Amino acid sequence: MCCYITGYGAALPDRVVTNAELAPLLGVTPDWIEAHSGIGERRWVEAHRATSDLAVAAVRDALNDADRSAEQIDYLIGCTLSPDYQVPGVAPIVQRKLDGCRNIPAIDLRAGCSAILYSLQLARSLIESESAHTVVCFGAEAQSKGLDLQPRSAELSMLFGDGAGAVVVSNESKLNDKARGYPLRIDDILIETDGRFAEDLIVRAPGTANGARWLDEEHLAAGLHYGSMEGRSVILQAVRKIADAAVCITERNGISLDEIDVVIPHQANANLLRSLAKKLSISEERVVSNLERFGNTSSASAFLALWQARREHRLHAGSYALILAFAAGFTWGSALCRVCND
Amino acid sequence: MLTEGVMTFLNQAAAEARTDLPDRDSSLFLSGVLDSFTLVDFVTLLESECNIKIDDADLRPENFDTIARVEAFVTRMRGIECAAT
Repeated sequence: MCCYITGYGAALPDRVVTNAELAPLLGVTPDWIEAHSGIGERRWVEAHRATSDLAVAAVRDALNDADRSAEQIDYLIGCTLSPDYQVPGVAPIVQRKLDGCRNIPAIDLRAGCSAILYSLQLARSLIESESAHTVVCFGAEAQSKGLDLQPRSAELSMLFGDGAGAVVVSNESKLNDKARGYPLRIDDILIETDGRFAEDLIVRAPGTANGARWLDEEHLAAGLHYGSMEGRSVILQAVRKIADAAVCITERNGISLDEIDVVIPHQANANLLRSLAKKLSISEERVVSNLERFGNTSSASAFLALWQARREHRLHAGSYALILAFAAGFTWGSALCRVCND
Repeated sequence: MLTEGVMTFLNQAAAEARTDLPDRDSSLFLSGVLDSFTLVDFVTLLESECNIKIDDADLRPENFDTIARVEAFVTRMRGIECAAT
């Protein structure tokens, strides 16, 4: 049995945060941010909005795109690094907010920027095992609320934006008349993990590895609740591992990278995207990027890039799409998809 | 000693960063010669120029921070590869 992405959705906060607004907080210049990240602006949520608000809007958009209702969802998979609460996960909150959604399984996957790959693999397994017919996956972040807006964290805090993306995954390749576009068949997914680098990209607190309490005043004073990154290690490992995943999945499916029409990567930063394109000898025109406008939206990033590819009519009948991602852990992988016209 | 090709790369990177190539024990990162973009290219070049294969575990920034460290790293990698063959 095959499974298909039949709907794409997105939600972005209204508030635009430019480099000019952010730079003074981080002790850098707007040009420095642009030069070191490729990011021109990002969106941040208003104080009264939570990750689930963005997720619900993205899921509704995806359902509308697929001409499906919330009632028809059999399984909800939510991905975020910035949940509404520590407990419960964001997926049950989204289930509650989706009018008409039944008491379906709603789970969180903490896969960071590899969220799209992990959630699609689970969705595919559920559909192929006939445990579900319609699965909705979303990635959503309101991580602006957790950024360390001080010069010591400039290299990390300049990157992140808020947003949400969602897809409807179904066992049906035939779309209703009202649905727009072609279904995207998920042909293969490859995901891997190398935990040796777990501390190279990390938010340490709250956490049970921090002593007697998972969060106390000392942790806060030391900034353990903020993200920290060994940036050079991340880019060295990311470029190599994503490139290997791209080569492996195309080879094992008997196609070449030249046959890939659209590359949909996690939007980490411009250096990573450029290095990756160069290593794979893929022209940058084939790589979907929204980094300049949205920044790095972590779990939402590749979902948003996929939505953008659909919106820009880059998913033509018969074309191949390659989704690539890399995340804290380190986790990484690829998904090979093909636009159906049958 | 690093190969002429490796040194040419570093000198070009320094020129593009509008700085001087630092002495062999000073940081290529802090001097601005290697940033996250040129670092990836530098490692790729090292593998081809020096005929070494760098394992993931050795792909650590500290191995490429100074010219002296790069030289020591390449020597160690060549020793491992020679031992393997």
